[in-house]
Amino acid sequence: MSAVPATWRPRWLTVVGVLAVVTTAFTVWLGLWVTPPDVVQGNLARLLYVHPAVATVALYWAGGVACAGSLLYLWPRTRSFFWDRLAASAVEVGAVFSALTLVTGSLWGRPVWGVWWTWDARLTSTALLLLLEIGYLALRRVPADPHIRARRCAVAALLVAIDVPIVHFSVDWWNTLHQGGTILDPGFELHVHGSMLWTMLLSFVAFSLIFVWLLAVRYRIEVLEDAVGDQELEVSLAERWSEDTELVGAGSGTGGSTPGGSAP
Amino acid sequence: MSYVDAGYAAAFGGLFLYAVTLVLRRRRWERALRMSEVPAVEADDAAAHGERS
Amino acid sequence: MWHDAVLVAGKDLRIEARSRVALWQVVPFAVLVLVLLAFAIGPDQTALKHAAPGIFWVALLFSTVLAIQRSVAVESGEGTRDGLRLSGMDPAGVFLGKAAAVGLQLLALQVVLWAGVTFLFDVRVQVVWLAATACLLATVGLACAGVLYGALSAGLRVRDTLLPLLVLPVLAPVLLAGSKVWQAALSGSVSGGTQWLKILVPFAVIYLVVGVVLYGPLQEAA
Repeated sequence: MSAVPATWRPRWLTVVGVLAVVTTAFTVWLGLWVTPPDVVQGNLARLLYVHPAVATVALYWAGGVACAGSLLYLWPRTRSFFWDRLAASAVEVGAVFSALTLVTGSLWGRPVWGVWWTWDARLTSTALLLLLEIGYLALRRVPADPHIRARRCAVAALLVAIDVPIVHFSVDWWNTLHQGGTILDPGFELHVHGSMLWTMLLSFVAFSLIFVWLLAVRYRIEVLEDAVGDQELEVSLAERWSEDTELVGAGSGTGGSTPGGSAP
Repeated sequence: MSYVDAGYAAAFGGLFLYAVTLVLRRRRWERALRMSEVPAVEADDAAAHGERS
Repeated sequence: MWHDAVLVAGKDLRIEARSRVALWQVVPFAVLVLVLLAFAIGPDQTALKHAAPGIFWVALLFSTVLAIQRSVAVESGEGTRDGLRLSGMDPAGVFLGKAAAVGLQLLALQVVLWAGVTFLFDVRVQVVWLAATACLLATVGLACAGVLYGALSAGLRVRDTLLPLLVLPVLAPVLLAGSKVWQAALSGSVSGGTQWLKILVPFAVIYLVVGVVLYGPLQEAA
């Protein structure tokens, strides 16, 4: 029948999921209880184990996959719906992470800077990223031929990706309220030490694993949506054909008898 | 609730909720796929019967 | 007439629930306007706080134009408008139904805009009932005037550029009065606000009545 299996639960996905949960649990335990409060920021520094990792995933992992997928779709040699679907999934998951970046950042900024929001370059460009991603998702929902939609969305995703380096370099190019790189700055000096560093690195692993799992499930949904669409089309066509054959059969039956009956 | 707790709750809670919506969407689409295959099987059977008679 | 209004409102809202155009396009657009205006005004916090009421209403007005475009576009398919006319439904009822549907969408939008302005511009509404009343009254006026002008421009190929040009000057009093009421609501002065509230009431009533009366003839003429 359809080339798409009705269930898809590969072993590697389950492994990723389990690892994601485990590393997340560890990160929360280390972050909230084991690590010491910061000298300057006190307990607020515990958001160090959430916000930067979420932002990294949103910006580099999601943005990177969306960009790469779009390029690979647009290039004729590697064109395949796999890349289109992967890119679309990455943008949606990325939008969730972008929104969470803004939320966690805002919760951190309020006690530190005194405001929920400020219009500095990094926050503004990140808000813009989220709006661009929402625009992409709105575009994706418009019904269209799959090839046309894929090409249109691939270009749109690349335009979204232009904002990624802007967000990245915003803290260097402009005088921002938002601080510069935490682990690495242009001088490549390490700022975070000891158990805080390890917990932070673990949080990157945890959120990355979460991203991979979400991306895979979202990709599966893309595949299913297209498959159901195709199936429904096939079924409708099959029904129409069977209707037509019934009509033709009835017509030839009466057509055969009428000429004989009407001729005097 | 402290800002830290709210931050952790927002991040992990938000991602968990999103994961749940994805799983539910996947389940709905898998059911739709299975449903849409069944009439096609019946149509095939009907066609086969039609040809024989 | 009321029965037809409920039918048409239900139809429009159900189409929106299924296609989610307002959710995915109009709401992000409104937030985008907030962001763009913030860019334009610059990083000065005090300037932004002063401008916040005006920004709310400008974003709302632009989004209203989009919502009206969508309301008209829903019936722009082949013969849909004729079908609606021939269905025997009271045109006044159709008008009320469409205006109600647009109005409900605008109310939901205003909730988002209210939250957005509070968050992005660091302002807080001191007199909530004042701001909320302004929003409700304005919504009636915006929806009625909007649907009426939408009908005026429906079926024209230049509808997309013509509608904003036609309807925004008409909606300008809402912008003016709304901003003033919100300024009062943000700063806490009730008396200043209620003066301007008095402009929103006749606006809403006039366009409600005019719409009910003129929508039918407009449809015949189109």
